[in-house]
Amino acid sequence: MSCSPFDLKEYFLKELPIPQAAQVEAHVNMCSGCREELDRLQLTEAALFSLRDEEIPQRIAFVSDKIFEPSPIRRWLSAFWGQSARLGFASAAMLSAAIVFSSVYKSAPAPSPGPAVIQRVAAVVPTPEEIQARIDAAVAKSVDQALTKSEKSRQLVADLTRANEQAQAMLVRAMGEIEMYQKHQQVHNLANYTQPPPPTGEDK
Amino acid sequence: MIFRAVEDADLIRQAARGSVESYNLLVSRWEKRVYNYLLRITTNREDALDLTQDVFLKAYQNLRKLDDPGRFAAWLYRIAHNEAFSMFRKRRPETDVDELEPTPTETGVTVGGSSVFPMELSLAVSGALGRLSAEQREAVVLKIYQGFKFEEMAEILSCPVSTIKSRLYTALELLKTELAPVKARGVS
Repeated sequence: MSCSPFDLKEYFLKELPIPQAAQVEAHVNMCSGCREELDRLQLTEAALFSLRDEEIPQRIAFVSDKIFEPSPIRRWLSAFWGQSARLGFASAAMLSAAIVFSSVYKSAPAPSPGPAVIQRVAAVVPTPEEIQARIDAAVAKSVDQALTKSEKSRQLVADLTRANEQAQAMLVRAMGEIEMYQKHQQVHNLANYTQPPPPTGEDK
Repeated sequence: MIFRAVEDADLIRQAARGSVESYNLLVSRWEKRVYNYLLRITTNREDALDLTQDVFLKAYQNLRKLDDPGRFAAWLYRIAHNEAFSMFRKRRPETDVDELEPTPTETGVTVGGSSVFPMELSLAVSGALGRLSAEQREAVVLKIYQGFKFEEMAEILSCPVSTIKSRLYTALELLKTELAPVKARGVS
């Protein structure tokens, strides 16, 4: 049993405040029993420290370990937002999406004191009625053009038919003329065969 | 020491924001201490290594719950304590908490049948530590080897300071009885 003014083990374990530790130290210097007790505690501690810390046989891996990596979504987001070009692309895509959304789901834009840029964008974007009217007009125009083209084609076919008929008529006429010429030629040849040869100078 | 503590606090804050590199640095600073703490309470290198890995994984996953980075050490050792005693319970679920301890051996800490500390004094220390209860041994490890204050030990072990003192003083008496004469012979 220690006669120290404060707990000797607390002093040994460095848990006493400095003033109290100083008192215990002074007491230990004068009390052989407490001195011996403290010596034994210090010997015990020295023996315990003969067990040295070991080096860890294998480093704890973290950077290369998949389980410590952020989730794929987080990695993709950080990679995506980390690049200014992609950020610009994303901004443009969002602006386009906003324009399309407003043109599809909003009626004619009410006049509002918004920024000039927004007003300009609203003026450029047509309403659904305007789009329908434009589509109708484009369809009507296309139908007209198709009809016109069809009429022209029909006329062209008629012209071609007529020209073909004329050509055939000319061909028939030419054939007739050739036939007449051949008959004429045959008659002429026959006449030459039937007539006596003209008298020569030897007969005189 | 103060500078180091500030640095650790910065690393903890960065790691809590998702910086794996900061956490990696933090691990490299603490892994040896945590491993040796676990080695001395489990007396098995493989268990200590596995538990150390689990401790740092769990710490990383819960780092945002740590309000005060200055309490990181006690918080980390609390995780280590829980992991170790959880392992003891899984292996010997029918055993009382006071008896949750690795089997003490007269030949010291063994791994795969071979002695970790072959020196005579080391064997004597290992034997003496092995004869303590798991709670007494842990108190000695936290105080003598890891240098924690009573309040920090109370936080790590989740019990009052008076209980800590009781366990530690009893352990010191037992160790003193066994080791002081041994040390006196060995040193002189």
